[in-house]
Amino acid sequence: MTTLRTPQSLGKAAITLVTGLVLAVLVVPIAVTFVSSFAQSATGVVPTGFVTAEHWRTALGLTDVGARRGIGSGLWFSVLLATGGMFVNLVVGVPIAYALTRYEFRGREWLNTLAVLPLVPGIILGIAFLRTYPDNAGTAFGLVVGYALLKSPYMVLTVQSAFQSMDLRRLEESARSLGASWPRTFVTVIVPNARGGILAGSIITWTLAAAEFNFTYMVYTRGPRPFSLFLYENISRAPFLQSAAAISIYFCLVVAAILVLQTVGRHGFTTT
Amino acid sequence: MVTVELDDIRKTYGDETAVEALDLTVADGEILGVVGPSGCGKTTTLRTIAGFETPTAGRVRFADEDVTHVSPERRNVGLVFQSYALFDNMSVLANVAFGPKMQGVEKAERRDRAVELLELLDIAELADRAPETLSGGQQQRVGLARALAIEPNILLLDEPMTGLDAKLKDRLRREIGSLLDELGVTALYVTHDQEEAMAMCDRIAVLNDGRLEQVGTPREIYESPANEFVAGFVGSANLLDAQLDDGTVDLGFTRLHAVTDDTSGDATVVVRPDDIAVGSGSIPVTIREYQYLGETTSAVGELPDGQQLRLRLNGTAEETTVGTTVSVAIDPDGVAVVDTA
Repeated sequence: MTTLRTPQSLGKAAITLVTGLVLAVLVVPIAVTFVSSFAQSATGVVPTGFVTAEHWRTALGLTDVGARRGIGSGLWFSVLLATGGMFVNLVVGVPIAYALTRYEFRGREWLNTLAVLPLVPGIILGIAFLRTYPDNAGTAFGLVVGYALLKSPYMVLTVQSAFQSMDLRRLEESARSLGASWPRTFVTVIVPNARGGILAGSIITWTLAAAEFNFTYMVYTRGPRPFSLFLYENISRAPFLQSAAAISIYFCLVVAAILVLQTVGRHGFTTT
Repeated sequence: MVTVELDDIRKTYGDETAVEALDLTVADGEILGVVGPSGCGKTTTLRTIAGFETPTAGRVRFADEDVTHVSPERRNVGLVFQSYALFDNMSVLANVAFGPKMQGVEKAERRDRAVELLELLDIAELADRAPETLSGGQQQRVGLARALAIEPNILLLDEPMTGLDAKLKDRLRREIGSLLDELGVTALYVTHDQEEAMAMCDRIAVLNDGRLEQVGTPREIYESPANEFVAGFVGSANLLDAQLDDGTVDLGFTRLHAVTDDTSGDATVVVRPDDIAVGSGSIPVTIREYQYLGETTSAVGELPDGQQLRLRLNGTAEETTVGTTVSVAIDPDGVAVVDTA
């Protein structure tokens, strides 16, 4: 045989190369940001003066200087808002996804459209909120509702696909014939069996809401400054390294959130 | 276990009639098979007993108690599906203990009950496994244990063996059949496989197009089918035109003396392949098709008048080829009149 590569192994090499490139494009900026957040100066191409926690301290509002613009409270504020939005989606989105998958009913198509409709850009929903609820749009409550609405399609679509892969009707009928009421069936059988999808939906809605900028920028008026606004202001005014620290903190938070949600997903639903 | 009674059930979906004028009783401790082609209403019948369908008209009774409008979770019926429908978020043991848990049985007791059932079904070693890691046959055993754990009024089985391979089906059929007998379970066994129903059930109900065609023991259904549909659906059958005349059956190509009742006129009769002896009679049949099946050879032959006749070529010395002419005799006792004009 010849020593020429077969088309199949060529394709494999090409895919590996493309995947590697894409990963590099994604990961390098994050790594650079993370590393330089510990540098003293970033005026040149290569940041210098390692290692300092000064920017992290400033970003977290732990120094006197940073107290003015630090994100200390803002970061936790955003975490709370995103968590609130995620819970609204769990409570509303999971039953909607269930109904859409399990039942044929009048208006099903409409509900399906409505559930996916908030996939509008945040800026548009922001304007709509400002016009409709001028007094409440910028409050914590308004932000939670806005985040929940904006991210609900991700929850509904992900959970719906989990439900579609299950034999919902027979699972439900088995549980009910064994004496479980409908609500109990839903909580002890249906939801735990879809936990993969529910988990994915939770992670997506949380991380997207935690850094939502457009909507926040449109409606924000008072109260602690959400994380995305802090970042925006620091990119325009403050030195890059402080933003780098803030972005790094955000990434740490996202990783932590994913770990927490996965742990909950693995252990939190099991019933005996 | 109780007697379950369906009284004049009708179920319609819009203009579609799924079941019409259905009267059916499953006696205490009996396994009643429900067979018929797809769309005949057998699954609707099962779901009506389970409470997932409310009949448009008619009554459902458990031991004389009207349960027509009682919700499924209060009926205490065991369900076994073709697709198993096990709870993948729980261990095998927790699946079986789920029903007793819903009934409020104490933890230690429901555990004991689950273990006992798993032992009975010969899968005790699977107790801590996740259902999705089991084979189809094992999953179906778990499904059965789960349904039996609530000590159901009636056990409803919906095509429980359809997804399994032939050998396993045969083994499970025998095991489950004797287990249900032993436990004295009242059961409704829905299947499209008439052979499975014959093997497992005390009585069989044949449904067609939403109507009950006949209900009786496997032997009654097979040997005295009520009509052409039942004769054709259960086992293989030859439906032949005949002239009845005072105890004789004139098939055109032969006359038989055996029919006890004294009706006269045009009729359709059923002759099973088992009642046709090949190589001993005087009726010439030309073989047109045959299938060698190992234990038997199934063939379709042509009668002198051009009608087709299904027969079996067991134990004949003759070499079977298409075009061979064999002589056959029809056992008069095996002839059943199904339709008189």
